[in-house]
Amino acid sequence: MTMSRLAAQPTEVLDRSTKLRFRWNGKRFDGFEGDTIASALAAAGEHVFSRSMKYHRPRGILTADYWDPNLLVQVGDDPNVRAGHRRLEAGMDVRAQNVWPSLHRDIKAANSLVARFLTAGFYYKTFMRPAWLWPTYERVLATFAPGGKIDLDTPHRYHDKRYMHPDVVVAGAGPAGIEAALAAAAAGARVLLVEHEHAVGGHLRYSSSDSDQAVLAELRAALDASDVEVLTNSTVTGRYEDNWLGIVQRNHPIAVERLIKARAKVLVAAPGLIERPYVFSGNDRPGVITSGAARRLINLWGVKPGERAVVFTANSDGDAAAADLARAGVEIAAVIDGRDHRRVSSAQGSSKALQAVVAGGNRIEADLLVVAAGWTAPTSLLNMAGDRPVHDPAAARFFPSDPPGNVLATGGLAGDGTLDELRAHGAATGRLAAQRAAAVAHRLQAMTARARPVDGDEPAWAPDERTPLGRDPHPELYRSDTHGMVDFSEDVGSKDLVAAAHEGYDSVELAKRYTTSTMGPSQGKLETVNTVAAIAEARGETIAQVGTTVWRPPYAPLTLGALAGRVFEPVRVSSIHPWHEANGVSTIIAGQWMRPDHYGDPAAEVRNVRTNVGLIDVTPLGKLDLRGPDIPKLLNLLYTNKWSKLPVGKVRYGMMCSEDGVVLDDGVTGRLGSEHYLMTTTSSGAGGVWEWVENWLQTERPDWKVHVTPVTTAYVSINVAGPKARELVSRVTEGVDLSPESFPYMEVRLATVAGVAGCFMWRIGFTGELSFEIHAPSGHGLHVWEALMDAGQDLGVGPFGLEGQRIMRLEKGHFIVGQDTDGLTLGPSTGLNPLIKLDKDDFAGLPELAWAADRSLPMIVAIQPDDPNVVPDEAGQIVRGDTNEILGRITSARMSPTLGRSICLGQVEPELAAGGTKVTVLLTSGERVSATVMDHHAHFDPAGERLRG
Amino acid sequence: MLLVPCPNCGPRNSADLRYGGESHARPDPATATPQQWRGYLYLRDNPAGWLWETWYCRSGCRRWFTLERNTATNEFRNPPIPGDKRGGKA
Amino acid sequence: MTGIGRRLRRRPPKYSAAALAWRGMRGDYWPRIWRDTELKSSYDAVVIGGGVHGLATAYYLARNHGITNVAVVDKAYLGSGASGRNTAIVRANYLTPEGVAFYDRSLQLYNSMALDLNINVMMSERGHLTLAHNDSSLRTMNWRAEVNKLQGVNSCVIGPDEIKKIAPALDTSSHPRYPILGALYHPPGGVVRHDAVVWGYARAADYMGVEMHQKTEVLDILCEGGDGPDGKGPGGKVVGVRTNRGDISTPVVVNCTAGWAGLISAMAGVRLPITTHPLQAAVTEPVKVFLPTVVVSGSLHVYISQTDRGELVFGAAVDAVATYSIRGSLEFTEELAGHVLELMPGISRMRLLRQWSGLCDMTPDYSPVMGFTPVDGFLVDVGWGTYGFKAAPVSGEQMAEAVATGRTPKLIAPFALSRFDSGELVGEKGAASVGH
Ligand SMILES: Cc1cc2nc3c(=O)[nH]c(=O)nc-3n(C[C@H](O)[C@H](O)[C@H](O)COP(=O)(O)OP(=O)(O)OC[C@H]3O[C@@H](n4cnc5c(N)ncnc54)[C@H](O)[C@@H]3O)c2cc1C
Ligand SMILES: [Zn+2]
Repeated sequence: MTMSRLAAQPTEVLDRSTKLRFRWNGKRFDGFEGDTIASALAAAGEHVFSRSMKYHRPRGILTADYWDPNLLVQVGDDPNVRAGHRRLEAGMDVRAQNVWPSLHRDIKAANSLVARFLTAGFYYKTFMRPAWLWPTYERVLATFAPGGKIDLDTPHRYHDKRYMHPDVVVAGAGPAGIEAALAAAAAGARVLLVEHEHAVGGHLRYSSSDSDQAVLAELRAALDASDVEVLTNSTVTGRYEDNWLGIVQRNHPIAVERLIKARAKVLVAAPGLIERPYVFSGNDRPGVITSGAARRLINLWGVKPGERAVVFTANSDGDAAAADLARAGVEIAAVIDGRDHRRVSSAQGSSKALQAVVAGGNRIEADLLVVAAGWTAPTSLLNMAGDRPVHDPAAARFFPSDPPGNVLATGGLAGDGTLDELRAHGAATGRLAAQRAAAVAHRLQAMTARARPVDGDEPAWAPDERTPLGRDPHPELYRSDTHGMVDFSEDVGSKDLVAAAHEGYDSVELAKRYTTSTMGPSQGKLETVNTVAAIAEARGETIAQVGTTVWRPPYAPLTLGALAGRVFEPVRVSSIHPWHEANGVSTIIAGQWMRPDHYGDPAAEVRNVRTNVGLIDVTPLGKLDLRGPDIPKLLNLLYTNKWSKLPVGKVRYGMMCSEDGVVLDDGVTGRLGSEHYLMTTTSSGAGGVWEWVENWLQTERPDWKVHVTPVTTAYVSINVAGPKARELVSRVTEGVDLSPESFPYMEVRLATVAGVAGCFMWRIGFTGELSFEIHAPSGHGLHVWEALMDAGQDLGVGPFGLEGQRIMRLEKGHFIVGQDTDGLTLGPSTGLNPLIKLDKDDFAGLPELAWAADRSLPMIVAIQPDDPNVVPDEAGQIVRGDTNEILGRITSARMSPTLGRSICLGQVEPELAAGGTKVTVLLTSGERVSATVMDHHAHFDPAGERLRG
Repeated sequence: MLLVPCPNCGPRNSADLRYGGESHARPDPATATPQQWRGYLYLRDNPAGWLWETWYCRSGCRRWFTLERNTATNEFRNPPIPGDKRGGKA
Repeated sequence: MTGIGRRLRRRPPKYSAAALAWRGMRGDYWPRIWRDTELKSSYDAVVIGGGVHGLATAYYLARNHGITNVAVVDKAYLGSGASGRNTAIVRANYLTPEGVAFYDRSLQLYNSMALDLNINVMMSERGHLTLAHNDSSLRTMNWRAEVNKLQGVNSCVIGPDEIKKIAPALDTSSHPRYPILGALYHPPGGVVRHDAVVWGYARAADYMGVEMHQKTEVLDILCEGGDGPDGKGPGGKVVGVRTNRGDISTPVVVNCTAGWAGLISAMAGVRLPITTHPLQAAVTEPVKVFLPTVVVSGSLHVYISQTDRGELVFGAAVDAVATYSIRGSLEFTEELAGHVLELMPGISRMRLLRQWSGLCDMTPDYSPVMGFTPVDGFLVDVGWGTYGFKAAPVSGEQMAEAVATGRTPKLIAPFALSRFDSGELVGEKGAASVGH
């Protein structure tokens, strides 16, 4: 077969004045603007584009479009590019994939010699012995992986996403789709028309008939004059719940690929039909092409597909191809008419080129075999909407059965007809779509206005009064009297499928899984029907009996880049963050927040807090502003302890449990006014606790009057800790007497700090030192922080980070929810039994906590290794002596700069919980060390004198 | 992406809401037996069909409500009930 | 026990390279992988669900206990549930001692499966990395590693440099929003060809006399003597099952229906701590193999492996909304792609080829529900959530023992249904939220 460039064709899409130079397997080639990669190469006489997956057979053009399984190439760092679709660009570096050493001399082609042993699924039956060799076998098998190469340095280029709320989306811009779009728009709908190809027109584009071209011109002009938004080289990739559509736009001027998400009120599926290959011996030989391929090559790109052709036709498209071929100067050696029960039996020749076609016992010399054997209805979008298409043997294809009211089919998917009939059906579909879109809009409106959908409030679908399209009879042509290739990308032949059916893999799903037919890059677009047909034939059943596989999204593959978009994962920082960065902070990611971990030397930070004064930015602390008369009741319900008598100006610590008694969160809550409280939660619990509070208030106690506002980010939170904290804070605070008598531990005041009014200040802290925690309006946070820093220079003020705080809280034995507790830690295990008031009427988790009171539970305890220099790993297991029996684990461990020894918290079985108990800790090194359980959680200042100071 | 009818905001993308699971009534903590309480905590009807369930309009009005959805088809029916988590269960 | 189901030929024709060559030369078809038999009116046991769990249970009933008058019934084809849709990751590096012991046994059985079943299940022991992006997950990784080591399971925490050596495609720099601080590395973890496991168990069980009945849907479970309506519920016993192909009498029913487990249990009057959620997965087009191990990130809700065919297989956490509909969603693919590129920014030009989903039976403590129920003769092997593929061999072995002996084997005692009455849940909750 030799393809070559024809003189300019009237319908061609080429700009012959613009030459594009590119490389193919390192060699230079030229094409024209408007060429696809494949058409340019074909015009230059190339006829082998790839090697098949298993047998490495040479493969040429089959369909010359996006779905062509033989035209996957590597372009630069872009693997698996569809050369039948991708437009040629100057400078492209195009390479064949999966060949070694080269496309024309490929070593693995030797596999075809043993093809009869490499039947489908052969790998399940072998490579089992010796077992130790399997990893080696596996590595060898993996070298057969088809596809291109990934360059791991590829940057994630610019990708954007777009949201749309169109009334009608039409998928497919053939004549029916265009008419549907025009009619819907004329009826007032906002319409988006999406076309997979580079231009609208569908099959009219490559028709050489003058009347077809006139219609196309008319439709184009009408579209231009309409309000329809047209996207070409774009694909509706999926239809999801409630007509949520994914659309990939491949020709965006900036984004490499753009994902569009559209909530369409009505989807019109008008994807046309996909031409189905025919199964016979040698059907994958270069030189055997579909009738669509022949017509596209000639009419769109001016490529002469061969010199001497046999045409096997069972429909008018095949006839048209024969005419086009003749017009292009291809000698027609024979036309074999499938409608007369005639068949082609085999395509013969060298491995790389067709030489002869055998049909009806005759051998006909030819370098081109054009096949028009029928159609596959790409019913994917309907499948995704829940429709189960049915097979009609008389028309030899599937048809929609009963899609939901907001999904309509038109064009070839819906039936056959003259061009006028197809256009009329499209227009009727467009009108119906507009009516139904209005019904959907009305229902959504009603749902919003009445705030509820009402029983029977389903949209009253406008009745479908379209004149149905007919169905042209078509011979059932799947396999000839010989065996051939069914799945070109997977190298699965009809023989494989028959063998699989005999072996008991006799439903489509089983056979598909066993043989991998339809699993390759075209996802069954070309292969599904022939796969089903082969199984049906082997079982002596009809296609309808065997059924079909479910088409899964996406309709066409799309890049991870397009799906990911900009990868927008923001982190939160407090308004003090610039200061931290300017002062050598080392940050840590904690949940959504980026937080100061330390500023160089956490131990020094600890010592400074213990001797002078330090500042920590604790903004991520969850904060809920509570207002209303029933807050004490709410707190009683959510915390395990009692809140009825908390006076204004006081704060109290509380622990929350879930309904299963497991520790959920903890924090302090302060009473700012008679009906005004500020609740704090752990940083990671902030969001969850808020929803939890709302849930109780709204669903369990809707009569209570409490209003909740999350203010976590409205305030910056700064804890000033250390013996000199009062001195420092007093230098910048107005309007509050800070003396221990008038502002003692566990109280809260409203203050003006550094000139900033409206700051809350309370005397609590995690460090065990004299502490003032200041919550300042966020916008002034940095200012307050800097003012404190400036004011405290002579006091030795310095910042401290999360690590310093963690050390100090561990010195004080404060547990952290989620670190020292886990998903099964019940309230009493924390040792805070006095805070669990079982005599309250009700609170979250009460019954479980009451029952737990009678059980002996694992306990959180403070532990000190007997060797003060050994810091066990957090997660180090506590075991029984020399055995592997687990009795607990270390949950927190640090070297204490204050005590000069290692300190821990851990969870242990009840038998080990008493102070003074010796335990064995297993270090990650494997060493076992002895440690002692302490009497108190606090390793330092157990009486708590420092923080009260 | 499912469209969920919020009683306040109207239809919203399900990603805007938090799914709260099967609706159920909380037993009286004063009288509940361990079996009743743990039934409330853990056991679920999990039917393939109509089910009352709770939702929270996280990115909208921040209301909890119940709604009846068909777990086989993802259709909704009946008006959602704001401030409810029982879905008709005693 | 009737003799009808029994085979004259006790061993299936052997799979081997030589047999392949012989048949290839002669052009012979292989015999059916399992027989197509009539449904009888009575069996010694009926296993509902032809997934890996049901099939493994039937296989071990026959192999270890000689109980062969057994029917496995499935409403669709074998493997049509989660067993044919999962991402096939196997590992034993669980958090709790009971979990580790159990999954470790399963891994052992997987390792010898190809020879035991004479089918190449392509057990690929390629190693399993669970990434930690913050100090709290690093702590959990350490915890798991320590528990694993105590149980003799190969598992350790490694740092970014070593991670980079094992999986160069991962971005181990400190730039990302989710920096890779370390990973739990579990060399014996890997992937297995899920379909081959389904077919292998079915074929081996079939040759011992067990019958496979596809397109056989259980419509009801027939009970006597229970507290509830129709003799169902606690205190009663099973006498049979009603199917779309007729009634079957049997004293033993094993519920292995995963996502549908609640529906089947309700037919016997047993309530379960289970909700059904879809779990989605996707594959890319193939490219040359570049990712040698399984990579999991809990914080990013994603796990990745590359098949020998070159496709990247992705999975995530279950969908939040409970449903029996498995159509899949666009947002799943969007989030997935975002998270994958966070870990491997270099693959943004790879294309997503196909997405799908399967049903998962989620329990409150990320552990299964196994063994006896308050209805005599009605056993469950459910609650497998997102992690049941790896557990199939050991589950089948232990469930078969429970059926045959009437006693709960030690290995599955922690997973009894009764733990939800006593409030003694299994402690996998913390570690397993995306624990494939
Ligand atoms: C996308 C995805 C990824 C996963 N990844 C992993 C992984 O990497 N590693 C891992 O260990 N696990 C994974 N899992 C979980 C694992 O697949 C399941 O836990 C496991 O397959 C359950 O097996 P099964 O045999 O119990 O159930 P299934 O395979 O679901 O089988 C249940 C069967 O019951 C049948 N059935 C239901 N109702 C009836 C009825 N009324 N009558 C008759 N038959 C009925 C169904 O048709 C079905 O075939 C994943 C799951 C999914 C969905
Ligand atoms: Zn709302």
